[in-house]
Parts: sequence; C-alpha cells; structure tokens
Amino acid sequence: MRKILISGLAAGALIAVSAALPAAAADGDASLSVLHAVPGVTVDVYVDGALTLDDFTPGTLAGPLALPAGTYSVAITASDAADASAPVIGPIDLNLAAGGNYTAVAHLDPAGTPTATLYTNDTATIAAGQGKLTVRHDAAAPAVDVLAGGTPVITNLSNPAESVLTLPAGTVSASVAATGTTDPVIGPADVVVAEGTNTIVYAWGSLADGNLALAVQTIGGLHSNPDGVPAGNAGLVATNQPADSAPVWIGAAVLLMLGSAVAAVAVRRQNAAKAGR
Amino acid sequence: MNFLHAPARASAVLAIVVGTVVLLSGCAPGGPAVDASGATPAAVAPSASPTPTPTPDAGGPDAIAAVPDVPRADAGLGAATAAPTVPPTRVEVPELGIDVSVAEEGVDADGALALSSDPSIASWYRWGPSPWSAAGATVIASHVDSLDYGIGQFARLASAPVGTTISVTAADGRVAGFTVQQVELLSKTQIDWNGVFDRTGTPRLVLVTCGGEFDYDTGHYLSNVIVTAVPIA
Repeated sequence: MRKILISGLAAGALIAVSAALPAAAADGDASLSVLHAVPGVTVDVYVDGALTLDDFTPGTLAGPLALPAGTYSVAITASDAADASAPVIGPIDLNLAAGGNYTAVAHLDPAGTPTATLYTNDTATIAAGQGKLTVRHDAAAPAVDVLAGGTPVITNLSNPAESVLTLPAGTVSASVAATGTTDPVIGPADVVVAEGTNTIVYAWGSLADGNLALAVQTIGGLHSNPDGVPAGNAGLVATNQPADSAPVWIGAAVLLMLGSAVAAVAVRRQNAAKAGR
Repeated sequence: MNFLHAPARASAVLAIVVGTVVLLSGCAPGGPAVDASGATPAAVAPSASPTPTPTPDAGGPDAIAAVPDVPRADAGLGAATAAPTVPPTRVEVPELGIDVSVAEEGVDADGALALSSDPSIASWYRWGPSPWSAAGATVIASHVDSLDYGIGQFARLASAPVGTTISVTAADGRVAGFTVQQVELLSKTQIDWNGVFDRTGTPRLVLVTCGGEFDYDTGHYLSNVIVTAVPIA
C-alpha cells in the first residue's frame, strides 16, 4: 500500500483512504490528516520525496490517508518547487504507530516562523451524549486561555500544545484570549461539539499580522451506545406467571381489556396493582 | 494548478463516507446493502488526458497523474456543518392500534436508554439516526407495561406480522413509512446493543420493548422484543 501511495496511483490512494476512517481500524494502518495553517502561502507537500499534496492552500485540511505504520519524511515546499530539495518546512520525520490517528499541522511557531507539528488525535470511545473538544495552539501568539461562554475552560495554552475537554454534546460559544485575560483575540464563535465526535479546533495565524483564525477537524464514530432497554416493570404480559400469587385470570382479564377500546385506565391500574403483587 | 476540482472533491468525500460505512457495519443486519458500488473510487480519480499526447512542459512534477487524489476540505469554522437530525415525534401502527408520541431521550444513570414511565410516550434515542438520516437504525422504545399505567401499546408489537406498516412522523409533519421485516424476542443478556443502535448501514427502524418471562424478584423482564422495519420504497 505504501508503494502504491508513493508511486502516486491516484485510484489506489483513494481506495486506501476510503477504507480507513474515521478511526483507522483497518488492519493496523495509521490514519494521517494534514492541515495547512501557515497564512498566505500556497505549498506543495512531499512524502518520502513524492509529491502528495499539490498547491495546498492555507486553511485546508487534507486526508485522512491510511498509511502502514512506519516513519515518513515530510517536506513542505513552495508551490512552484520542482522537487522536495528546498523545503520551507522540514523535512521532518513522522513516526506513525499502527492504528494511530494523527494530524500533521504546518503552522507558525510563537515567533512567526513556519514549522510543523505532528499531533496524536484522541480516538477513545466517548460516553453517550458527550463529545470531545480538543484545542490546539498553532498561532504566532503568546499563551492563551480558551473561554466557553466567557468562562475560562483551558488556561495558559502555549504553541504548539493542546488540551482535550469532554463536554456534553452541544454548541459552545468559544473565544480565545491572552492568558489571564478575557478580551477575545479570536471569537467568540460557535463551535459545535457533536456527540461521539472529537472536534479539534486549531487556533492559527499571527497575532502581529492580525490574521488569527480557527480551523476545525472532526473525528466521528467515537460514540458508545446504550447498553440496554429496561422497558417493563409490571410483568403484565409475562409469559410466565408467579405460582403462588396473581391468578392467571388477572392476566387474561387484562388481555381482554386490551382488546376493548374503552378499557378504562382506572381499571387497568387496579389490575396492574394486583398483578404487581 | 487546481487538479482537484469541486465535483471530484465531493465524490472523494462520498467515497470516504461509503468506505467508512462499510467498515463500521460489520455487525449490522442488512450490512451488505451498503456496498455502494456506485461510488467506485476509480471513478473519481483524476482521469488521464483523453489524448495520450505527452505534455512534458505543462506537467513536470505537478503532473496530475503523479499526485495521489487526497481529499481536501475547507477547515474553516462552520464550513462542514452537518444538517441536524430531524427528531420523530409520533409512531403509529394502525393495524395494531398503536399511536404513541415520541420524546427525545439519551441514556439513564445506568447507561441504558432513558424511558418515560408512561408507556404512551415512546423514547427515541436522540444521539442515533432518525428516519430522515442517511444511514443507520432509528431506535424508538417504550415500556411494555407499568405498575402505574398498566399494559402499554408496544405490548402488541410481539405479535406484529411481517409486513405490518409503521409510520413515523416528525414535528414538521413529514412522515416516514416502514414495514416490519422481523420480530425477535431476545434474552437481554444476549443482545448486541451496538448492533441495535448501529448508526451505519441501510436506514431502518427498530422498535424495542420488553417481553418474555418476568423476574418477579427483580421486577424486570428477561427479554426484549425487537422489531426491525425497513423503509417503504
């Protein structure tokens, strides 16, 4: 599969991608997404020397790619480069473990220099009704706080660190402020935290250049399910009847009443009470 | 060079979705039906030029055929907002005299589907699909009986003949029709709940209640009645 990808057979690559996600459960492949979060420059991305993303524009998320576990060399070049020999970022080695889910982000460091970070995405199962919100600081900016509804929920997050929250599914009014403050440098913006999904929000751009922005990646399919349906507690339609109480005719009477459209609730309650004991 | 024009991108995304569905639907009844061959990956790959004439100066390292077709998406906030799930509000089975309202529910403190104590109010699992979702099982459950309310309407599901018509209505009046495909009475300890609540695979309606033998010590039925219905074409 690796050979197919690198040799650039488009159809083969797409088959690999389509068989992989959201969590790369297929036969141990790793899953790799790539986010371009360097403002203002269109780039090409080379993997092990082969052009993999051509004319990749800022704010774009590519992938996911299903890749066999291993180490991949990634180089990011100007979009008019002839090959990977003069990268603007890298080459960097990405160590991808079997079954891992990763996002490689090309972004600015705190000083505004292009760099790249490989993040491991949390794909653990999430309790029913909950979602995860991952926040990653990939902007040329000092440490920040992340506020939800005006209240700090993540504090002192520095480039390129991340923080993961588990929240009830819903929409969060999120903003980003310099740490220790509440005056937003980004937002407030509505971020949907979908149930059973890891919603990954990237703060990117440059504070000095006034182009801070948010990018979003979602990894779904992490939900869990109810583990039962306890849908009865009176035994009124049980196929077994207690031997020493609740004569069989009570059940029969109840069934007869069921057949009647005028069965009175009060009578049913009476029977229910009898049958219950 | 914008080699991945919009339609191709959309198709590529579709291919991923289809692939994902196939991957996750291993335990789904009727799973094979999601093998949507219409989304053959090869069909959306950038095709070679219709004329085989080489154009060395135009291609170079950026030549279309040399670059894998990696799907891309705008990562901007709100760019990929999913359509909200349309909640069902009513279930009717005319042949069985069933007509219940439906409330949205999650899980209770024990991790089971939360249920109204009133059997005339069924519970739809709000985090799963609805009848208007593209895939997966819509799960609606109701008490078979109650000490306070007596026997519930869903008690009649146990004897539903295959082919029985079920209609599900949404708040905006839209109606989805289903026909009963199978009725199962399964021991609670043997039920694959991940299969029941499967969010992938062909759209289907799953009505659940209790049935079978009753444990008079714990006050619980030992089995669930699970009715699987398929959309009316």
